[in-house]
Amino acid sequence: MSPLDDQHLVTGVDHAAFPTFDPAGTVAFYRDVLGFPVVHSICAAGWGPDDHPDFIHFFFDIGGGDRLAFFYYFGLAAPDTSVGTGDVYARFPQDAPDWFVRSRHLALHVASEEHLLEYRRRLDASAWPVEMQIQHETIESIYTHDPNGYMVEITRALRPVTPQEDLDANLTIDALVDIASRPGHTIDDLLVRKAELIVERAEKWSAVGEAR
Amino acid sequence: MGRRLFLLQVPENVPIVAVARDLDGVDIGEIGPYYVIESDSPIRIDRRATGVRHAVWYSCVAGLDGWRIAQWDSDALRTEPR
Repeated sequence: MSPLDDQHLVTGVDHAAFPTFDPAGTVAFYRDVLGFPVVHSICAAGWGPDDHPDFIHFFFDIGGGDRLAFFYYFGLAAPDTSVGTGDVYARFPQDAPDWFVRSRHLALHVASEEHLLEYRRRLDASAWPVEMQIQHETIESIYTHDPNGYMVEITRALRPVTPQEDLDANLTIDALVDIASRPGHTIDDLLVRKAELIVERAEKWSAVGEAR
Repeated sequence: MGRRLFLLQVPENVPIVAVARDLDGVDIGEIGPYYVIESDSPIRIDRRATGVRHAVWYSCVAGLDGWRIAQWDSDALRTEPR
């Protein structure tokens, strides 16, 4: 057995990468409006067996040592965005529900309301103003879409996450895994299974918490 | 023993439990870090009386023991026996 067996070793997002067909707009949005420094780029001739185009792979610093990266491929035709909905990577029929299309997005963290409102100010003064500002359960977020149609969220915590929320998250996910194979499962199945897990585990968790 | 509704003990849920506490025939207990709202007859919690915003309201229930949710909208959360 390795001493690393039970260790959680990753340290964050090295980079998340997306294609762009609008490098000028992408740089304007992330570097010039949001102020994210360009920290790395690769200029590469296409190579390999599958007719790979020449490309630029470029990276923005999104804080915490994490990076947001784009690929710009020379000569690659952009998708037709005049019909349907979605972004330049994933297109959907016009009638695809917004909640589904928006479910894949990038959320960046800020430390305070002041910092959130500073990004709101920068975006509102740009060609990509904030589309929504929402207080969720325990976070507050602003949203816009970048020049590629990718939804970007900037969010702050309204309060620190409490230890019992970690327990609750684990009970939810264990319940979901338990019921997900049942045909026609609903949130009712989940809440019934989760109640069973609460009865099994919640009291014990409390004892563990008090022992610390 | 009555049927039970579980809510996690977080600050956002406190006003909801406070409204439930004032309902006839409802007992509020706890198990670990969860509130247990227990009753023999159906529970109806008025959302406006709780004053919580929608995101909190629609994520407040952690578990159902013996209850089925009959109504969960901007007016009320109401249970019925399973």
